[in-house]
Amino acid sequence: MSKTKDRLWFALFTVPTLFIFTIVVIVPFIYGIVYAFFQWDGIAANPKVFVGIENFIKLWSDERFLHSAWITIKFTIMAVISVNLLGLTFALLCTSALKMAKLSRTMIFMPNLIGGLILGYIWQFIFSDAFAILGELTGFDNIFFNWLLSPDYAIYAIVFVFTWQMAGYMMIVYIAGIQNIPEELMEAAKIDGANYWQRLRHITLPLLMPAFTICLFLTLSFAFKVYDVNLSLTGGGPVRSTEMFAMHIYNEIFRYNNYGYGQAKAIIFFIIIAAISLTQVYMTKKREVEM
Amino acid sequence: MFRKKRWFIFTVFAALILLLAACGGNQTDEAAGGSEGETSEESSGQKITIFQSKVEISEQLEALAKEYTEETGVEVEVWGTTGDDYFQQLQIHLNSDSGPSIFTLDGPYQAQQLQSYLADLGDAEFVPNIAPNMELTLDGKLVGLPYGVEGFGIVYNKDLVSPEDVKDYDSFVATLQRLKDEGINPFGLSQEAYFLIGHISNYPFSVQVDNVEFIKQLEAGEVTMADTPEFQEFGKFMEAIREYAVNPLDVTYDEEVGDFATGKSAMIHQGNWAWGLLADYEAEMDFEVGMMPFPLAGNDKLAVGVGAFWAVNGTKNQAEIDAAIDFLNWLVSSETGQRYIVEEFKFVPAMTNIAADNLDPLSQDVLEASNSGNTIPWSHAYYPPNLVVNEFTPIAQEFFLNEDMTGEELIQKLDEAYQNAVQ
Repeated sequence: MSKTKDRLWFALFTVPTLFIFTIVVIVPFIYGIVYAFFQWDGIAANPKVFVGIENFIKLWSDERFLHSAWITIKFTIMAVISVNLLGLTFALLCTSALKMAKLSRTMIFMPNLIGGLILGYIWQFIFSDAFAILGELTGFDNIFFNWLLSPDYAIYAIVFVFTWQMAGYMMIVYIAGIQNIPEELMEAAKIDGANYWQRLRHITLPLLMPAFTICLFLTLSFAFKVYDVNLSLTGGGPVRSTEMFAMHIYNEIFRYNNYGYGQAKAIIFFIIIAAISLTQVYMTKKREVEM
Repeated sequence: MFRKKRWFIFTVFAALILLLAACGGNQTDEAAGGSEGETSEESSGQKITIFQSKVEISEQLEALAKEYTEETGVEVEVWGTTGDDYFQQLQIHLNSDSGPSIFTLDGPYQAQQLQSYLADLGDAEFVPNIAPNMELTLDGKLVGLPYGVEGFGIVYNKDLVSPEDVKDYDSFVATLQRLKDEGINPFGLSQEAYFLIGHISNYPFSVQVDNVEFIKQLEAGEVTMADTPEFQEFGKFMEAIREYAVNPLDVTYDEEVGDFATGKSAMIHQGNWAWGLLADYEAEMDFEVGMMPFPLAGNDKLAVGVGAFWAVNGTKNQAEIDAAIDFLNWLVSSETGQRYIVEEFKFVPAMTNIAADNLDPLSQDVLEASNSGNTIPWSHAYYPPNLVVNEFTPIAQEFFLNEDMTGEELIQKLDEAYQNAVQ
């Protein structure tokens, strides 16, 4: 009797979500896989030609695709390091006895509340106008120039803005982790004569591993999938130097009108993200310690 | 126990799939039913929908739609657009069988892509009134009614430059030099794809005796840009612009026009649409503005063409198609419609039965050129789809960022990009 009831409750909570998840994620995903085997320009009335796995073979010799893959990886590595380093530093500062801790916590989190598109446009102004003025005033015009105009620096500009946006979010996760560490441990360590660095190295960081797992996973997948900041800040330019994966796929489908080929790229993209993220979660999970 | 649980999950999932399939079925039924229902309503042509790409006329078009409804009782629904992703949105609407009755096409390539959706407008009343060669045809079928004529060239400040100063390459460079010495930015382009390279890349094509034929030969590999003298000269022009002008990648369209309006730039490469922005500065502008030809290979004509066409969705039922054609007909033949085209949309009409007076100075120049036939055609409409955005823009960016890249290399890269896009 109670079992049927449990099941009803179970169904009540899961079925609607499962239903929505199925129609907006699973079904389009399967459609996507199917289209990846066709050559098609994306217009329903035009012919879809079955080409088998040709799309998947073609993309390994597609220079634009490989270039895009390379800069996405470069971006992700830099972004993951800078976001987590800054996030963790802010978290340590905001949980210390600083007077402004609470206020600064809010301030640091704030950029995350601004949408990526708007943020990109704001920073576009900063890079093009404010940087030029800074360069003139300080004389460091080899540092303060319009980064967005240089094929070498534009990618760093995106890393910069992405970090500015995400570091606050990761800080919150780290703060939650830090606050979960029992006070007794710290006190015991202090009595034993451990200094700040020793406590950080041997108590805080190991006990923060669950937070690392989450933060690394989130930044990895966010960075791989970045599109909005990319679009509004550089639009993929200059000279295609910042056309990252998500944008590359969008352009392939809607600008080059290769729907099937774009889908094939999207599937490869999915496999790469899934593989890297899962490996990361597996590796960091192993290092988590139970108290 | 475990097995039972698994069975339960399986059943839930199976039920879900079934439900989904049922829903899917329902949806198509509904859609079919819906359109049937609409058929009875629309058999009298009571409602049409418009989806068009020009953001700047959205509001005016809605007002016009209201007037049309008052006059004829036919409801006209205007869908909003964000401009840049117009074609993607149109594609989505058409694919899901919920397309508009009237939509915009930008030229022959889009027409070809959407050919199965296009109604034949050949029998419509307005056809005889379209200015010569301004309609859009596909395989001999008339599929597009022109929005209006647009033209581009060098928009110049009459206090600083006179058309006499810009007659050929040498005088162009001399003028750039003179203006730069006076501390004025001599020539402006801007970072947007078409304002950076799209429009200006027309000239070497358009000054050919037959530009369409030339493009065909280029695509067939019979000629190359690098071996064509007009392209070689175009490379030199671009070098000169890079040397004397402010880096266009640092300039947006708004800034380009703003700097011109405030006298910081003497010439910008723009079209008559730029008046829309210039009008905001009109009170402060103490100089006259004109448009002159870009002097590539001694060219003395403005580039005039049609940037957008009205097309009718041929997959709708006959009543709706007729209603859509009636609307277009009313737009270009009724007094109200004509007034909107000239005064509200600020188009230079591409119809012989619409009189245009009180045009702004840029449009006036375009109209004069167009009436006297003193024009060169637009060639970018014949480029492979999205060539300007996909291929030409990154190359132009590289050219403007890398001082070592010569005009010759620019042309070679454009050549390669063109061949890649054709394949």
